[in-house]
Amino acid sequence: MKLFEYQGKELFKEKGIRVPQSVLLDEADSIEKSELPFGFPCLVKAQVLQGGRGKAGLVKMVQTREELLGTAENYRNRKVSKILLEEPVPYTKELYLSITVDPLNGKAMVIASAEGGMEIEELAKVRPQAILKESFDSRFGLYPFLARDIGFRLDNEQGKKIASVILSMYEVFTSMDAELVEINPLFITGTGDVIAGDAKVSIDDNAAFRQTRYTPGREYYDSEAEYEAAEEGIPYLQFDGDISLMCAGAGLTTTVFDLINYEGGSVANYLEFGGPNYRKAQRAMELCLKNESKVILIVTFGTIARADVMAEGVVNAINTLHPDRPIVVCIRGTNEEEAEKILKNAGLEPLFDTEKAVKKAIELCRREDHEHIH
Amino acid sequence: MGILIDTSSTVLVQGITGREGRARTRLMKEFGTNIVAGVTPGKGGETVEGLPVYNSVAAAVKNHGQIDVSVLFVPAPLVKTAALEAFSEGIKLIHIVPDRVPLYDAMAMLRSARKYGASFIGPNSLGVLNPGRALIGMIGGNARSASQWFEKGPVGITSRSGGLTTSTAYYLNRAGIGQSTIVHVGGDSLIGMPHPDIVKLFEKDDETELVVMLGEIGGNQEERVAECLMNGEVTKPVVAYIGGRGAKKGTRFSHAGAIIEGGKGTYQGKVDALRDAGAVVVDDIMKIPDAVAAILGKGK
Repeated sequence: MKLFEYQGKELFKEKGIRVPQSVLLDEADSIEKSELPFGFPCLVKAQVLQGGRGKAGLVKMVQTREELLGTAENYRNRKVSKILLEEPVPYTKELYLSITVDPLNGKAMVIASAEGGMEIEELAKVRPQAILKESFDSRFGLYPFLARDIGFRLDNEQGKKIASVILSMYEVFTSMDAELVEINPLFITGTGDVIAGDAKVSIDDNAAFRQTRYTPGREYYDSEAEYEAAEEGIPYLQFDGDISLMCAGAGLTTTVFDLINYEGGSVANYLEFGGPNYRKAQRAMELCLKNESKVILIVTFGTIARADVMAEGVVNAINTLHPDRPIVVCIRGTNEEEAEKILKNAGLEPLFDTEKAVKKAIELCRREDHEHIH
Repeated sequence: MGILIDTSSTVLVQGITGREGRARTRLMKEFGTNIVAGVTPGKGGETVEGLPVYNSVAAAVKNHGQIDVSVLFVPAPLVKTAALEAFSEGIKLIHIVPDRVPLYDAMAMLRSARKYGASFIGPNSLGVLNPGRALIGMIGGNARSASQWFEKGPVGITSRSGGLTTSTAYYLNRAGIGQSTIVHVGGDSLIGMPHPDIVKLFEKDDETELVVMLGEIGGNQEERVAECLMNGEVTKPVVAYIGGRGAKKGTRFSHAGAIIEGGKGTYQGKVDALRDAGAVVVDDIMKIPDAVAAILGKGK
């Protein structure tokens, strides 16, 4: 689970990392009346989880209250619920710092650069030599001398202060079961202050049972369907194409996704109801119907998840929900003969080949487009 | 032969008295796996499927001698301690079925495994199956289908997706091509034995003539297999499929991996690396049987 910037900064502050003065505005808060202890200019930052906020116009410097109101209204129209107002930091240098996990050797890793500001993936492409990486065994923790070494390699004067930021980041990292703690940019000011300009903290979802401080509410998701799917524990991704996928198994769902794109079709949503969810056909179909899709494509190949159980679930879902769009089914695996009977009895035409099912779904979409034109 | 498990491997089941533990113990036993005992703390003295249950791995080892493999069916939050217990009792291979194991726990297991000279498969792995001989995990669902669907033959399969592992084996069998061993390495970002480790085992296995690798975008397991082909560590032919081609640019599937490798982990990056190294990359999973048959010189 990714945290919002204001939450990350909350954690930073608790561990002693300096952050800019700020005011957090909730949806209910009136922007006209909000007190700004630091006045103008002021940074207006939309609290959204997507990256590249600057380019998307979701971080703006404003000079007057009028400008602030305009920007805030623009964010509200884009369904941003929380806005962070921040005092700009007059910096002389921007650094990059992060702590993450190196999956190759199971160690923790500090990634740092004296050339912050830019996205690290971008920097890795254009100037990989400007990136420092130090991995260390998390069983023994992050040694202060290693943090100092990194600190002084980044900035000869403020090395010690940077080191203490790195050590505090590591405290956030371990105490939160984080996959990533990132500060980009970390400002160094003319007076030698070291201040976190941004905060990215991502918590391991698998550790949710022991990390209960932040729980993902509705504001973590862009759409109602994504939120409901997450509540239900059904893997779901929102797209804006024509075909709703209702598949079993991450690998198979990805394969079907690829095939649709390859054959010239488009995906409305990616939904996986395999594994522990294989009895949730009805819930899965409800989520698919929340989309503006033209066809629902059901593809499964189950060994443990029985084909007949899935077929029955699909038929029950159809009888309860009366979907307003065609459904293509391709259900295979254990007891597939039984599944075929169930589907045929319900008036469906089951297919047994993923590629054929994908092609049929795309054809049905095209037919629909055609009918709309005429 | 085949890799990782065989009829002679002695196998322990940790978490044998749970619902999954019981059901999969029956599957493994009926299939032919040489399970010798189970462990559930507090349930020592009971039996499951005719097998003795002990309170600790140490007690199982004391009564049964050396144990080659331990299969874990314990809840995700307990996987770490169960694995460390098995490593410390000298078990060299652990298979981890549960998903949702915390990343930090997986890190600790990896460090511990290295210390003991041991390895683990998973977490989040459906299993390993040596056709007609032995299986660990829950691959195949029940012994009857597991015996019917997987036939012995020259192809080693290593896969990051459980579902694709079984369906690929199924389509190969339909084309008359059997498998030496089928390995689902697990779907998590940090796993004990990624693709390159498995491919290197297939390289040494007499029964394996060709490796099918089912990869995915994110991380760098597939790129590392390409490196093994380049530097001669792997000389057997590799047929690969990479899932996630349709993912739009900028979709992040593996954040940390993407950062560390600076742009690696994309569909095109993986395909190019593998093709440059001489692997055959198919763009559709259904094309795997034909590609394999062409290399093995067998008509369909």
